[in-house]
Formats: sequence, structure tokens, C-alpha cells
Amino acid sequence: MAKEALDVTPPALLDRRLLVVTGKGGTGKSTVSAALALAASRKRKRVLICEVTARERVSELFGRPPSGPQIHKLFEDVYSVHVRPPEAMREYGIMVLRSETLYNLVFERRWVRYFLNAAPSLAEIVMLGKVAWHAGREMEHGRPRWDLVVLDAPATGHGLTFLSVPEVFLSIVKEGPLARDMKFMDSMLKDPQQARTCIVTLPEEMPANEAIEMHRALAQRGFPQGVLFLNGVFTPRFAPEERVQVARGGPLLAAAADAADSHEARADLSRHYTSVLRSEVKLPLVSVPYVFERTFGIRAIEQIASAIEAAL
Amino acid sequence: MTRPPISALLAQRKVICCVGSGGVGKTTTSAALALRFAVEGKKTLVLTIDPARRLANSLGLSALGNRETRIGDELFRAAGLKPHGEMYAMMLDLKLTWDELVDRQAPSPEKARQIKENRLYQTLSTVMAGSLEYMAMEKVYELWRTGRFDVVVLDTPPTANALDFLHAADRIVDVLDNDALRMLLGPLLKASRVGLRLFALPTGIILKTLGRFTGQDFLRDLAQFLVAFEGMYEGFKERAGEVKHMLSSRDAAFVLVTSPNPLTIEEALFFHRALASDGVQTAAVVVNRVQRDPHRFGGPDSVPALREALQLAQIKDGGDPLLSQRLARTLAEQSTLADLDRREVERLERMLSGVPLYKVPRLRKDVHDLAGLWQIDQCLSAMQE
Ligand SMILES: Nc1ncnc2c1ncn2[C@@H]1O[C@H](COP(=O)(O)OP(=O)(O)OP(=O)(O)O)[C@@H](O)[C@H]1O
Ligand SMILES: Nc1ncnc2c1ncn2[C@@H]1O[C@H](COP(=O)(O)OP(=O)(O)O)[C@@H](O)[C@H]1O
Ligand SMILES: [Mg+2]
Ligand SMILES: [Mg+2]
Repeated sequence: MAKEALDVTPPALLDRRLLVVTGKGGTGKSTVSAALALAASRKRKRVLICEVTARERVSELFGRPPSGPQIHKLFEDVYSVHVRPPEAMREYGIMVLRSETLYNLVFERRWVRYFLNAAPSLAEIVMLGKVAWHAGREMEHGRPRWDLVVLDAPATGHGLTFLSVPEVFLSIVKEGPLARDMKFMDSMLKDPQQARTCIVTLPEEMPANEAIEMHRALAQRGFPQGVLFLNGVFTPRFAPEERVQVARGGPLLAAAADAADSHEARADLSRHYTSVLRSEVKLPLVSVPYVFERTFGIRAIEQIASAIEAAL
Repeated sequence: MTRPPISALLAQRKVICCVGSGGVGKTTTSAALALRFAVEGKKTLVLTIDPARRLANSLGLSALGNRETRIGDELFRAAGLKPHGEMYAMMLDLKLTWDELVDRQAPSPEKARQIKENRLYQTLSTVMAGSLEYMAMEKVYELWRTGRFDVVVLDTPPTANALDFLHAADRIVDVLDNDALRMLLGPLLKASRVGLRLFALPTGIILKTLGRFTGQDFLRDLAQFLVAFEGMYEGFKERAGEVKHMLSSRDAAFVLVTSPNPLTIEEALFFHRALASDGVQTAAVVVNRVQRDPHRFGGPDSVPALREALQLAQIKDGGDPLLSQRLARTLAEQSTLADLDRREVERLERMLSGVPLYKVPRLRKDVHDLAGLWQIDQCLSAMQE
């Protein structure tokens, strides 16, 4: 394991070019991606969030219409784009072939469509290619177009399939424009100066176990990691004596006692998984509080961004 | 609307598939159903895919795939249960099931070996989206046909695309049995029987162009892979048809599992429609991990009223913030959660009118043994209002 992969300097997390946010499904990857972008924009950075999952989510969190395949502004200095396989494939194909006619001639055929469906991870490859293009994009005077690109990555499912796509692809294909781009992406993802992968998890058994496995697998494959986000944390609020007293307080306090018990049960889980994760994952742990909002939108994101800023 | 206990609702079914998005409680619900039927006197099997480690351990499920494990009497006793039937569990190894299928369908062991050694076969799941899901169905079909169990409960894998497993079989056959694709790749195979001359010109250009993207090696692998499967399509197709037949028969039932989160509810609705458009009915919906409203107990929830109640009970209103303030806040937060959940459950109920809906509360601890599963069963069997 490269020493660098573990050497994390949290204050500088937002100074990278690319932050990848991954974790089990439903743990809060999109939420954390949005909050990271907001936190970076508060440091006067221009941020692009790339979403690659089937359903766009981040624009909605900012209360904006879906961005779709074009870059749209969501907030001061925060932009997003939904990278989808069909458009990415098309843009990519035309760029490589330098001819729309040739692209249509070849790629719009039924057989070729079958082939494209059958080619392993081609969708992921073109999406990553597109993200790499955004992240590497320079403006005149050598200033990057985006100070920071946040990649809201797909759920880990079984490990690192998505992030390993460049490596796996390169083991099969050595030449061609896709291979060149995958080399670029692979080296960017593995350069601790440029990129960090962050894991999002919950104070529950399966998400926590998956985060631990993901952390090890990333380290083993040489992906530099940023921080571990423990999302949806409950903080203890009642002393044990208080709960005993309230529980004995009769029917008038029954609802209050029940609420206090549920709260503390979740606080116990938060505490338990915080200590499990602290001992198993050698990364700074950032606790993100559970946010009680009737509509989970910009207000929730602002609260979470502040919690992240305070922790970094 | 009152509903019968879920085990009564599903009493006639022999194959029960629990479907839904990841993390909602499919594995838990599947195991709970198998347990319920076993306690009631049936011989049941739960086919599980990714049990939480503690659940797997406490059921005595080893990492070894595709092996039926009988849940020992001592485990039932430890949970205070007395089974009138038997419960088996099996951790499904999808790769192993593919291997078995190839072994069975291949015309010769040599052919089977060729297929299994192909680099693309190793990454089959990415080659054919949904093939993992299909394999689960395959296994259920096999078990159903032998009739060794009264009920087989299938836990489905966490799928990104809910439609995948319904159409996986078609897609697999489509990819394997695609003449155009094989024709396209034909020129890459020295020994190919495909008419090279006829197609040489256009396919030549196409191949060259594709090769510029992916490299020629990959195209060659793909061609070999497809040729290796030659002659097996018929078997696949037939089998896939039988699986479909089983799933749409009265023997099978689909239980849709969801959480009350609006995003998961949306996916559940999508799934329901997808099933319906394939002529498959949703037999029941389980909304798992519903926040209970503390107000079901009644009592005051404002700071002054709580302060008074504390005084009456002779409890010191101390700390900072004061105990009354912390209690009020906690009550407010939990009723917010309960309220959000209630609204989502109602929405789901409206959208799925006619499908019996079962609510399971969020338990205070993870469910990791028979006792925990039994608690879930109690909720599924309680007469719900
Ligand atoms: N800190 C929090 N407090 C309360 N609710 C939260 C918090 N973070 C996320 N949520 C809720 O959890 C759900 C899942 O969040 P989100 O969509 O960010 O997850 P995800 O990991 O991106 O999911 P997917 O794998 O589906 O992309 C959402 O309904 C969100 O509102
Ligand atoms: N009603 C419930 N209350 C508390 N925890 C639950 C409940 N249902 C499931 N869990 C827990 O949630 C986690 C995910 O459940 P699981 O059944 O494995 O989901 P899935 O199979 O849908 O991915 C497990 O750790 C399980 O113990
Ligand atoms: Mg998301
Ligand atoms: Mg599961």
C-alpha cells in the first residue's frame, strides 16, 4: 500500500482537482457530493458536479430543474452535468472519428448497437472519459475551467467496479483513443495531489461493513482516499438516569419516554459504528448529522456543508 | 382496510420472490417469510444473495455457495420458537450457478471448458446485464421443479435497474443468438463458417472503426465467446421460457419490499409497473423500517406542558438545554419522521390500491438472528389497520 494513499491532509481536501464520492446505495453520496461542492464554492472555488447514475439527483437538491447532458448553474459557483451513456458515447465517437457521418454510418446500426450493449463496461468507459475531459479541461492562460470536479459515483455494489474500469479496460485494450483517455483517467484517479476518493456510509451494519471493504480495496489498488463520511449521525442527548426517570413518569410522559428511547437507540448505533469505523478505516472520519427537514433540499445541504466545513 | 396475515395471503404459493431496491430489507423479509412458514409446519428454503454478515453467521450459513443448510433446532429454541416444519437456507453463488448451467447445456465437456475459460465469460455479469438476476430465477426453477420444498423464498440481488431480472433471459438469448453480431465478428475468426466474402466490405469498415475504439483483441474475444455458445441458444431459450411460465403461474408470488423513503417508494412504484407490464401481479407490498410516531402514546409535547408533567412526576427539569426542552425537540423530530413516513405510505397505498400493504416498524436494533426475524414476522402477521 502506497504510503501516500494514507497520508491525508484534510484541510487540503477541497484543493484537489477531482473528488470521487462513493458508497453503498442510498447512503447519501449525492447529498454529500452536493454539500462538498457547496463547501468548496464558499472557498471561492468554481465547482462542477458530475452525476453518472441513471437518475439525476443533485440539481433537485439545489431546487433546480435537471441539468441533463448540458452544464447548468445550480448555485453561485456550483454547476452540474448529468453524464449519460448514449450522449457520452455519441460525443465521444464523433470526437474520435472527427465525422458525424461516419459515426452515424457505423454506430447507428442495429448490429453495432448489440455490440455496444455487449462490450463490457463501455457505458462506464465513455462516462469516465467524459468526466476526465471535464476534470482535465484548461482555459486560456492555463487556468483550469473547473477548480474542482466532484464525481457522484455509482453505488459500490460489489466493490470498485466503476473506478477500476480504466485499469480493467487497459488490461484488455492497449491501443486506441479510448485506451489513451483511460490511461489519463487512471493516472488522475491515482494521483494523490489531484484526486481523492471519499466513502459515504451510515451507522448501520451493512453500509459500515461495505465501507470498510471499500476502504481496503481502494487502498490496495492504489486509489488515494480523502475522508470517510459517516452520514445520518444521532448524538446522545439524554443521561441514562434521565431516561429511567422519564420512563417511570407515568402515562403523561409515555410519548416523551418512547421518543427519548428511539433517539438514544440510534445514538448508540452511531457511537458503535463510529468506533468500529475509526478502528478499521485509517481515514479522518467526518460525522454528518441526521437532518430533520420536511423537504430535503438546499437547507439540508447548507447544514451538511457547514458540518463538513467545521470538520475539515 | 384490514389484511390477512401475510402467511395466510401467500399460503398457496410455492415460489415467493422478494423484490425491491438495495438495502430496504429484501433479505430480511425473505428470511422472515421462510421462518414463518417453517414455524407453521412447512418445509421452506430461503435462497439468499447477500445476507448481512451477522445474519449469515447466526443462521450458520457458510461462505460456501449453493449448499442447502438446515437451520438447527437449537437456533429455534434460542429464539423461543418451536418449528412444526423445517427451514433451510442457501447462499446463492451466482457464478457457480452459471457454471452449472453451462455444464448442463454444453454439448460436450470440452465445449463447456472452452466457454468457462473465455475471458469474457469471467466478466459475464457485465457482458449481459441482468444475468445475475436470471441465474437466481434459474436456481429457483430447478428447486421448484424437484418439489422438495413446500415453499422457496427468493431474495433478489440489489439491482440498479429493476427491470433487469425480468428481461435478463431475453437479453442473454438476444446477445448469444444474434446472427448479425456473429456476422459482424465473423471475419475475426479464422475458422469461422460465417460468409466472409459476402460481408467483407461493410463489416470491414465497421470492424476497423470499432477497433479504433476498443482495440482488436477485445473484438476477437467477443467473437470467440459467441462462437463457443453456438448451439446452446435453443436450450437457453427453452429454459428461459419455462422459467417465465413458472413466474406467471399461480405458484409464484412477488412481494415488493420498500422503505418509506420517497426515493425508494418511487423505485417501488416503477417496479410495480414493470411487473404489471409483464403480466405479473404484485401479491403484497412490505414497507419496512417505518418510523413509529411517539404520539401514539398521547401526552404533552410542548416545553411548558412537558415541564409541568416532569414536575408532577417529581423529575428534576435539569441539564442544558433543560430536559423539557430536549424532550420537546426529540418528540418534534420523531413526529416529523413519522409524519413523513406516514405520508409516503399513504401515497404508496393510493398508487397501489388493491395490493395488500404491510408495515414493519424500524426496530431499535439490526435484525441478525431468528429472534429478530420473528419480530418482523409478528408485524407481518398482526392484523394491520
Ligand atoms: N444527513 C442526512 N439526514 C437525513 N436524511 C438524509 C441525510 N443524508 C441523506 N439523507 C436522505 O437519504 C436518502 C438518500 O440520499 P442520497 O440520494 O444522497 O443517497 P445516494 O447514496 O446518492 O443514493 P443512490 O445510491 O440512490 O444514488 C435521501 O432521501 C436523503 O434525503
Ligand atoms: N425493520 C427493521 N428494523 C431495523 N433494522 C432492519 C429492519 N429491516 C432490515 N433491517 C436491517 O437493515 C439492513 C439491510 O437489510 P437487508 O434485508 O439486508 O436489505 P436488502 O436485502 O434489501 O439489501 C440489515 O442490517 C437489517 O438487519
Ligand atoms: Mg445518488
Ligand atoms: Mg439483500
